[in-house]
Amino acid sequence: MAEEGKYSKAADLPEELREHLGALILVLADNKRLLGMRYSDWILGAPALEAGIACSAMAQDEWGHGRIFYAMLRDFGQDPNQLEHRRESPEYRSIELLDGPADGWTDLLALNLLLDSALSVQCEAMAESRFEPVHYKVSKLLDEERFHFEHSRGWVARLGSTESGREAMRRAFAPAWEVCVRWFGPDDDEVARALCDGGLTDKDAAGLRARWLERVAPVVESVGLGLAEADGGAWRSRVAPAWDEWDSDVRRGREGGPDADTLVRVRGDKNRSLLMD
Amino acid sequence: MSDGDRLWEVFARRKRADHFEHIGCVEAPNSDLGRVYAWQTYDEAKWFEMIVVPRDAFHPVNRPEQPFTLHPSAEALT
Repeated sequence: MAEEGKYSKAADLPEELREHLGALILVLADNKRLLGMRYSDWILGAPALEAGIACSAMAQDEWGHGRIFYAMLRDFGQDPNQLEHRRESPEYRSIELLDGPADGWTDLLALNLLLDSALSVQCEAMAESRFEPVHYKVSKLLDEERFHFEHSRGWVARLGSTESGREAMRRAFAPAWEVCVRWFGPDDDEVARALCDGGLTDKDAAGLRARWLERVAPVVESVGLGLAEADGGAWRSRVAPAWDEWDSDVRRGREGGPDADTLVRVRGDKNRSLLMD
Repeated sequence: MSDGDRLWEVFARRKRADHFEHIGCVEAPNSDLGRVYAWQTYDEAKWFEMIVVPRDAFHPVNRPEQPFTLHPSAEALT
């Protein structure tokens, strides 16, 4: 039996909220699964042995989190096996940045700081969720994410100590910033508002974006990347999100999805004959 | 070890009542990365507490030759 005002299973949720929450959980699952793959691409070839080990650990964390979120969707009437292994590219809810590989270390670092933090901010908003299965899983997940953030902050400081490092980060971070700042949706996003009003998250889209800025803006501006500025007591993005192509349901632009190579790998096509369940 | 990297000695204890044991070291340019690398490299136990200390904060006690104690390659010589 759930405590008063809490939901212990998806069937207890009002229908509209159940749809919104299921969609959000799939967004998180897909992003974490693909982000884990991008980390894993750098296990070999990172600039330091320790950084490779860190990528390996972060990949495992993300895959673990993805697994948890996919499994949760069973309760929402979806088939995790189908979601993980049998979807086509346009059905993925992952952010544009994950459609192809992170070509350079600074590109990976942009994912590590900007995207991984965005996912954590979204998860944090569910830490006190009235939907208990999420509430119980999120705090351990956030313990692990703390190290992902510190890894990115440490590397930004390291590369930010030289002009060539700052220039490389400016090139890699600008496109990633634009996409991540948009990822929370427009300030008046109705889905985010409904989830917040229903007690499933603790902030609407504007609040989530503000929390993300509060986390990442001091890091990028500590080395002068020119992406955000302090506005009174708050941080403001210097780049306005482009909403014309935005699709709130999939949390990305309307067109596109993971590229062919990414799709084969993320679905595990090569291992398909080995699937047991 | 690249320029600007420091050695960080890693200490950890399994239970609150334990003393810290020295479990290894990592190379990192700053404490953020030193802490992350330590946590992710030495993950063989569920540590109650882990700390890192820059090796150059060590004060030699019985061997007065600082470089011998502090130089990263000194371990190969002992």
